Amino acid sequence: MNKAGAPSGGGAGSGPTASAAAAAAQKQRALLQRLDNDISNIVDSFSVLVSVSRVNEPPVRNSQEAFLMEIRASKLVQSADSLLKLVSELKQTAIFSGFASLNENVDHRIQAFDQEAETSDKLLERIGEEAATSLKELESHYYSSVARNFVHE
Amino acid sequence: MEVERNKRMRIDVDKLPMKRLLAIDEIGNEQFPPEKSNEEQRLSAIHRIDFSLVVEKEKEKEKEEKDKELSKSKDGQQQQQPWQGLMENLRQAQHELSVILDLISTVEANDSVAVALMQRPKPLPNEALADFAVSAATKVQRLRHLGRYFKQCSKTMEQQVSKEARFYGSLIRLQQNWKVKRQRMGISEGFTFDLFDSRSLSGADSSVLTRPSPMSTIIIDQDAFGMLAIQLPQKSCRTLCLKFLGDDSSTCRIKNNTSEKNASSSGSDIAQPPSVKEILSDEDVSGCIGTTHSILRDIHRSLFEEKVFEMVNREAFNNQSSQGINVTGMRQDFLQLVIGQDSSLCLSLVLSEPEGEYKENGKDGSYNEDSSESGSSSALAPILLPTDDKNPTRSFSKPALSSKLVLSLQIYLLSIFHQETLSRAKEGHSSCGYLLAHFCMSVAHRVFSNKVLSILENLVSRVSYVELVSHPTWHSRTSSWSLRLKVPEASSVFDGGYQKQTKRSQFLTKVVIKDGQISLRGQSSATIVASFTGDATEPHSINTYTCDLEDLPMLILHQVASQVIQWLHEEALVVGMKTSRDLLCLNVDLEQGDTLSLMARVDPDDASACISWALAIPAVTDDAVNFSFYQTDSDNPGLKFLGSLSLESLYSALMDLANFCGNGAVC
Repeated sequence: MNKAGAPSGGGAGSGPTASAAAAAAQKQRALLQRLDNDISNIVDSFSVLVSVSRVNEPPVRNSQEAFLMEIRASKLVQSADSLLKLVSELKQTAIFSGFASLNENVDHRIQAFDQEAETSDKLLERIGEEAATSLKELESHYYSSVARNFVHE
Repeated sequence: MEVERNKRMRIDVDKLPMKRLLAIDEIGNEQFPPEKSNEEQRLSAIHRIDFSLVVEKEKEKEKEEKDKELSKSKDGQQQQQPWQGLMENLRQAQHELSVILDLISTVEANDSVAVALMQRPKPLPNEALADFAVSAATKVQRLRHLGRYFKQCSKTMEQQVSKEARFYGSLIRLQQNWKVKRQRMGISEGFTFDLFDSRSLSGADSSVLTRPSPMSTIIIDQDAFGMLAIQLPQKSCRTLCLKFLGDDSSTCRIKNNTSEKNASSSGSDIAQPPSVKEILSDEDVSGCIGTTHSILRDIHRSLFEEKVFEMVNREAFNNQSSQGINVTGMRQDFLQLVIGQDSSLCLSLVLSEPEGEYKENGKDGSYNEDSSESGSSSALAPILLPTDDKNPTRSFSKPALSSKLVLSLQIYLLSIFHQETLSRAKEGHSSCGYLLAHFCMSVAHRVFSNKVLSILENLVSRVSYVELVSHPTWHSRTSSWSLRLKVPEASSVFDGGYQKQTKRSQFLTKVVIKDGQISLRGQSSATIVASFTGDATEPHSINTYTCDLEDLPMLILHQVASQVIQWLHEEALVVGMKTSRDLLCLNVDLEQGDTLSLMARVDPDDASACISWALAIPAVTDDAVNFSFYQTDSDNPGLKFLGSLSLESLYSALMDLANFCGNGAVC
């Protein structure tokens, strides 16, 4: 059953794809918005810190400005921490949502393992052949050796 | 009128004392200004006088007088000025203090006080500068405090960044080989490795669901330094163990040193963080990743082996009677099968712990309950096979197979089930549950071929001119050897210019074992010995027959002896001797019409020589020629026991006999 507002001519296959694409675009916008907010908070806090650092004449304003400096410093650090969390979330998204890269990586690993299995099989065949050859040589050496002939003399 | 000295003259003229008309209204009435009183007239007159010039003059005079006074008394008052300023300040202070005291007394008297005006005294320049300095110092202190705070925060954030870089970098690298899942456990969020293999080995019955083992989900943790760590409960990894009942050797895979070092107790991390250094290098991170990868690989292998054991159990239970699989013992982690007629194979899941902690099975062949992970009761108890009377505590005097061969069987078992998994995943078809039967037959074949090989080696060691040649078949249920009888170099005989040569240099007897069946294939007799044309193809009959293990030595010795007889027969024909042959006897016709017989005697139980020879001249009697190898020389003077002879000796004896043939034999 199609949702109301779903694209009409696209069929059942394009509906989920379009909604997924829209959700991805919205998520991207939200992340960019968070990023902008954090950066702007950091810049604003720093600029206010610098402006408040100016020494004014009325001494009673110093305590007020000191409190303002502390608040802005905390806000700056909080914005930086929020940026770190944003980076963590992006890394998690890359790990769990990068399906294209994951699938590509899985295909590469499958190819690599298939190739390695083939190489191992060939190596085992070669080892088998060499073992058979060595066994034959050893047997011929043994039966033509002095030790074996000496036993039966 | 005023007249100033040397100045201009100014004349003011008063208005005439007459009434001036102010206004006339419309009616025509005249309005005159009100009449002023005398006082008002006097005041207005005074007001008309301009005294500004006089005031200016007086001010200039006062100023000049002041300047004069100041210049006169300047020196005297200079020293008193700072004291005056101080005194002035003290007076102001005293005034302010008196106001405050009045205020306090009024308040003490509970009288209401109305504050009219509060005026802050104007600060002096030095006071303002002092306040400014205090403010600046306070600001600097605050900024320094903020600087320390920022430094601490930056250090913490750098550690956090490096921790996360290590953790997520490790996670991304491990994700290349393992499935990572995000798991939300309550409020916190975590990651897990999912080792569950969705390719089920449930066989043809797809309705049987394979439950994921609790070991298939590994929780990922992070230590204090950001290194990735995994939580592994203790005694959880199990490995497949294959052994023959009565063998002490075990094929159980023990944890290697690297994983043993990092083995964790329940709840603790596996990766051991560096105890001293705080800065971790890339090598440490790579080492941790490698260790984690190997541990995950061990767990994955353990899960696969558990799955294989489950599959084997299911096949054994379902196809026990139909495919010749004989189950004699079955428990949760243990399965005992009868292989062949006198061997029992035990398949079990054991903990992959170091040797000291692993309790092996008892030497009497019974299954030790302590060696299994769970002590649950079994459906069938293991059955002990009949023991040897001489050694009642031990069923078998020697192991059925060496430990390396048993290990190879274990690897083969895992390999065939792995191939089954792959074929089912890729192509969808399966072997329909015949893998266990095939494996049992392979094991039986391996045990049987081992016995055959030992018999063949024993025989070859006692017959000098026979060599054992192996022919690897690379098939699990087929083995092949050849017994090669190398004859001495072909003899060349010239007869009328033609060179007669025997082209045979060896006789081959092939021993092939398929499952439990022995088949012998070898050359036994030649119809045409040599070709005088020189390019003869020598048709010979090749016999193929099957036998039992007990009959194998005798048959092989018969075969070899007959091949020797055949070779001697061929050589005798080459030199022109009249000979005839039996299976183990070569009859040579002598000049006098007698017949000399060279006989072969085979005895598989003879420790020194399996094939011995005797020469016999059958005595002319009425009875049929009857002689036996067991008669001594004294019993039968016509029989000469030669013992074990080499082929060269036999050939030279034959050539010696040729002199007695007298039929044109050429030696």
